[in-house]
Amino acid sequence: MIEEPYRWVEAIANRREYIETQLAAGSPIAAVGYLDGILFVTLGRARQKIFEIYDRIAMGAIGHPGDIERLRLAAIELASTEGFTRSAADVSLRRLAHYSLSPVMKTAFEQVYGPPYLARLLFAEIGSSPKEDLFLRIDYDGAIAADGLTAQPRQRFAVLSGTRQSAELMEKFLQKEHITDAVLSDAVNIALDAWSVGRLAMGENGTKEIPGRDVLRKHRGEQLANAAIEAAVLERDNKSAIRYRILADEEVRSGLQK
Amino acid sequence: MDKPPLVLDPNFSGASEDFPAVLRRKGLLQIVPEPTAAAGSHSFVPTESTTILAFKFAGGVLVAGDRRATAGNTVVYDRADKVLEIDRHSIMAIAGVPATAWEMARVLEHSFQYFRRTQLQEMSVDGKVRALSKLLRDNFGFVVQGVGVVVPIFATYDWNSKPEARLYFYDAMGAQFEVTDYAATGSGSPAVRGILYYENSWGDKKLKELNEDEAIAIALRALDTAAEADTSTGGVDRSGKIFPLIKIVSREGITTLPEEKIAAVFRQSVA
Repeated sequence: MIEEPYRWVEAIANRREYIETQLAAGSPIAAVGYLDGILFVTLGRARQKIFEIYDRIAMGAIGHPGDIERLRLAAIELASTEGFTRSAADVSLRRLAHYSLSPVMKTAFEQVYGPPYLARLLFAEIGSSPKEDLFLRIDYDGAIAADGLTAQPRQRFAVLSGTRQSAELMEKFLQKEHITDAVLSDAVNIALDAWSVGRLAMGENGTKEIPGRDVLRKHRGEQLANAAIEAAVLERDNKSAIRYRILADEEVRSGLQK
Repeated sequence: MDKPPLVLDPNFSGASEDFPAVLRRKGLLQIVPEPTAAAGSHSFVPTESTTILAFKFAGGVLVAGDRRATAGNTVVYDRADKVLEIDRHSIMAIAGVPATAWEMARVLEHSFQYFRRTQLQEMSVDGKVRALSKLLRDNFGFVVQGVGVVVPIFATYDWNSKPEARLYFYDAMGAQFEVTDYAATGSGSPAVRGILYYENSWGDKKLKELNEDEAIAIALRALDTAAEADTSTGGVDRSGKIFPLIKIVSREGITTLPEEKIAAVFRQSVA
């Protein structure tokens, strides 16, 4: 047993370090608001990283596939039973994150003899107007960072990356470049550039400043040559209740700027 | 020594429950009592709804239902929706007890979506057809007690092996029957089957060759004929301007015909 409090603090610190190391290589994900909704973009070689949770909610994740899968299934089950017993309008990302996922992840993280969730999650929920969109990130320790719940100026984008440095640089890039009413193809370009910024900032020798446009496009070109673009949108004015749509790789590539 | 059986983590998606099982685990789906031999005399008369039909025509599958819901010989409601969209390409039309049928439709709708979201692939047409069959089978206890009979029609568009519209009808125990041309269930269905059989065999065109307007006309005539002899079928209410609900399943998805369109065909070819 850990009897002395400082041992517990130490154990938690070790655990945090271990998890950060495990997550450090995760390919970044960018979620950006655009003219008709919200776009999720990442680049990958094998595993799917962007998922549909419910009619108006999508999720991106990095971490251990087994843990992502458990959290994903839990989120889908909670949203589906809520949508079934009440209505689709009663399914809310805010409640899903604050009352269900975050406490579970915090508990798993702090019980030092049990396994934590090696996962970092990025959610977006599309509202009936851009004002009601919600972007929300849950970390492995249950910490929630949200854009849309407070009275602060809205960013209308969110990022997820393996390291803090990478995520911060992506945010800095998007604060400068993101246009809220861009058409889809422009949004894809900005999101892919943000991805490149995040990728270049990873690792110990990662860049600490936003790279120039030439460097970004060169890096992006190299990456696109041997990885698939994974992208999905939540569309606001979709006639169907289900707003989630996967974008095919070719559909995304056709709109790319050189 | 025998190898132990492979035990999968219940959270492993390949071993996960289907959506009705999730609901049952959470106590959100009623477990129907086992059928008992003698249901006894029951004075409770459930609300029922009647006469739905579907047939394949040139533009896909047309599914139509009258709007009347009855309990015994009382008309309960004259604007009931018996043709329900389950997903982008599937329609379930119901004859029988609406309370049970609407619940089934909700379970079914969520089952298909739950499967797609958890398993990251669309459920096959056979899987969907079977899912409805299982719900009907699970409901059989109510059927025997005389309070929950549902006899649905299921129409969908199959994107797999050979893209085409598919049409099924069921009996109350859950047996599914795929049909090539048409299906009708509910109390007014004998008249409707007669008309559809006649039209398909000796009409000007086979049902499959009809264009949209012709198909709507046949559907309206069939429902009007059913209503002529069956009090539980609403047909077309001429004074109240209540028209049957008609939806079409095609390659592009589901179209709900606007009332003006149905009214126009009605004035031209039926009234």
